[in-house]
Amino acid sequence: MPPTPWVCRTCLLRIGKPALRQFFRFQSTSSTPESIPPALLSRARKIADEHKELTQKLANGFDTRAAKILGEYSPIVNALKEWDKANEVSRIRDPAVALSVPYLNTRAEGHIKSLTELTSLIHDHTTDPELLALASDDLGLTRTLLANASQRLTTSVVPVHPFAHLPCLIEIRPGAGGSEAAIFAGDLLRMYQAFCNRNNFRSTLLKYENADGTSEAGVPLSEAVLEIDSENAYGVFRCEAGVHRVQRVPATESKGRTHTSAASVLVLPSLQESALGEEDFENPESDYYVDPKEVRVEIMRARGAGGQHVNTTDSAVRLTHIPTNTVVSIQDSRSQPKNKEKAWRLLRSRLAQARREKREEEAVAMRRSVVGVAKMGRGDKVRTYNWNQQRVTDHRSGTTVHDLDDVMEGGETLDRVMESVRSWLMERDVEALIAEEEADEKKK
Amino acid sequence: MPRLSNGLLRHAYTINPLLAPLLRSCRDLTSAQNELRWLREHVKLTQTSLNKSHGSLLRRFVCERASGKPLQYILGTEYFGDLEIQCRPGVLIPRQDTAASVTHLVHLLRRAEGLPSELRVLDLCTGTGCIPLLFRHQFEKARREDVRLRLLGVDVSEKAVRLAHHNLKCVFQEHGYRDSKAVIEFMMGDVLIDPCGDQTFDPPSFKAVMDFLRKPQFWNILISNPPYISPSAYWKTTTRSVRGFEPKLALVPPAREEKPGTEQGDTFYPRLLEIAYDVEAEIVLFEVADLDQALRVARMARDIKIFDGIEIWRDQPDQNDEDDPSPHCEFKVTGQGNGRSVLCWRGRGSKWLGKGGAKHITSDRSPIRNAFFATYKF
Repeated sequence: MPPTPWVCRTCLLRIGKPALRQFFRFQSTSSTPESIPPALLSRARKIADEHKELTQKLANGFDTRAAKILGEYSPIVNALKEWDKANEVSRIRDPAVALSVPYLNTRAEGHIKSLTELTSLIHDHTTDPELLALASDDLGLTRTLLANASQRLTTSVVPVHPFAHLPCLIEIRPGAGGSEAAIFAGDLLRMYQAFCNRNNFRSTLLKYENADGTSEAGVPLSEAVLEIDSENAYGVFRCEAGVHRVQRVPATESKGRTHTSAASVLVLPSLQESALGEEDFENPESDYYVDPKEVRVEIMRARGAGGQHVNTTDSAVRLTHIPTNTVVSIQDSRSQPKNKEKAWRLLRSRLAQARREKREEEAVAMRRSVVGVAKMGRGDKVRTYNWNQQRVTDHRSGTTVHDLDDVMEGGETLDRVMESVRSWLMERDVEALIAEEEADEKKK
Repeated sequence: MPRLSNGLLRHAYTINPLLAPLLRSCRDLTSAQNELRWLREHVKLTQTSLNKSHGSLLRRFVCERASGKPLQYILGTEYFGDLEIQCRPGVLIPRQDTAASVTHLVHLLRRAEGLPSELRVLDLCTGTGCIPLLFRHQFEKARREDVRLRLLGVDVSEKAVRLAHHNLKCVFQEHGYRDSKAVIEFMMGDVLIDPCGDQTFDPPSFKAVMDFLRKPQFWNILISNPPYISPSAYWKTTTRSVRGFEPKLALVPPAREEKPGTEQGDTFYPRLLEIAYDVEAEIVLFEVADLDQALRVARMARDIKIFDGIEIWRDQPDQNDEDDPSPHCEFKVTGQGNGRSVLCWRGRGSKWLGKGGAKHITSDRSPIRNAFFATYKF
């Protein structure tokens, strides 16, 4: 009798399981493209009501202020009308589809009301194949109509971020995880650079420091500041701020264990003179205003006599904002004035960001009950890059994509992830807005 | 110079083997890391031939730097304010402190009212020509239509004058100054030679050259960064890299038998003050070694009794005043750092600098002047 070959127990157990396990996300804050958040819809309706009132008021007599507000509201109202129409179409069409098949008529009449029902009709196994073809045809059309209308409505209602039009600075620093985190931070930097190249954003490396203080590529990164010069860059990259987590077998690992490390990405609006105008730096009311008296400028002077006695090459400049104890130190260039200029730019950006965050903090405390944790600071991880599963998951929008290589090369997959986060952020913004309005009403 | 600790050397070596030799010249890790980075950038920029790898050229530069050769001579340039100035062995490397003083002076003048239609600036002991070039660069930023600049740099060394001309070309190529009407010239001349004494023609005396080339007789501003280190300080306070590689001619005034020690460091100033008197300079800015020398020079300037005001600037005159422990009530000291320069003004100069309170002294001062220069004999 031939002996039975030995089979590993793990392999035996694996036979019983399906070969490809699907990863499901059971709880998610993500939204389907054609659905519109109820909060946004209610706000749009409210605006439409107000619009109606204002129109009546204007019919009685002219008022400049009312006319101005009316002008602001009209695109929202138009978008809402369009959306309503698209929604109506889907409602009317569904019974028509149902009527075409007599035996379904009794079953479906009165039940099929909306697009969702139509979708479920398709997924239902008992549906007649002829009906299925008709329904799916119709569904596609209705869906695009509705999706377009929703999109337009959303963009018209959601307030634009006040810094969205500005160029931005992206600061990347390794977090927990030692040299692996530093390597990953370098990967992230290259990812953003590639992304900028592909999307025609002008990017310059403002500061690049390796773990060993040189700027050689491929060595673990200790800090990098990437400046993206193009307009609207802050609006595009705002969603990237937060802790990015990586799960992979590091290059530095000898035993093949998977590590989890993190790198933090900070996105600041870049406050260049061209983008803002001189008066913003001079105006004490502005976020960008920094009182020169409150800043201690330290220039690394030669120790000892100075002057002709030494020929030092120290060009480091350190700025300390005394009230907030914010320190910026730059020593990249050999030219002291250039270092100084860079340091001021960085200090202004950081202070403006801090001020804005502080102001938002108060608003957030109020919003939190409604929105949950929505502030995009350094808090939680926002995205995971998993090498073993070749997967990138954004924890805010709940989007998962599986083309990790394309993401790391800054390809279109990254676009998709960022887009999903942006729409998620937009919803948060609207919810926050409504919460604020409700709170205001309560106060009254 | 304190010894470098073994721990530091070992730490530097583990980061990069090239950092350890650089520490010999830089003395601390951050500046060594910066210098290595700049050297690396320089190698990448300059290397065109393929017969030598990046690594070997970089190693050669690091060896040179470790032997004390200033980084500025290896890279060939140094930043002076916003300008990149070419440096060559044999000519003093421009210093950041000088740039700070000149920038501050121009900053005061930029908004000044009542400037003449041609503002004349004379720079003695110009070296690389950095001071006139920076003066123009900073002044052009003010975009003053009503003032035309005329700058003249003088140096005793032929090498320096040639380099200054070269720098003039380089800076012009880089920055353009399209609608600038400024005139910059450089010429060779010896400031120290007494114009009344025996004349030599190699190098000729400053005064003789001015007459010969028919340069203007009167100048509004006189700036100078002359050699000011006394022989004793040269051996005590200058760094190895300065002593070993920079020209002594630009650092220590020539020896004069009757003036030993610290006074030899002051050799240039009486002569410079005399020139300031002759060209009727309204603003005078001299760089000095430290606060003590600043006080000596300020007293000399006071004794000649032509100036309405005298002030001492520290390394960073644009910064808030240092809370000074020692009361120097004699002259006003502004800024932070070591005593770095002496500023004197008179007549219209006080209005340009915004100092106010100009006294109108028109009386003939020649007796006082003669008495003064008699005491500071050459």
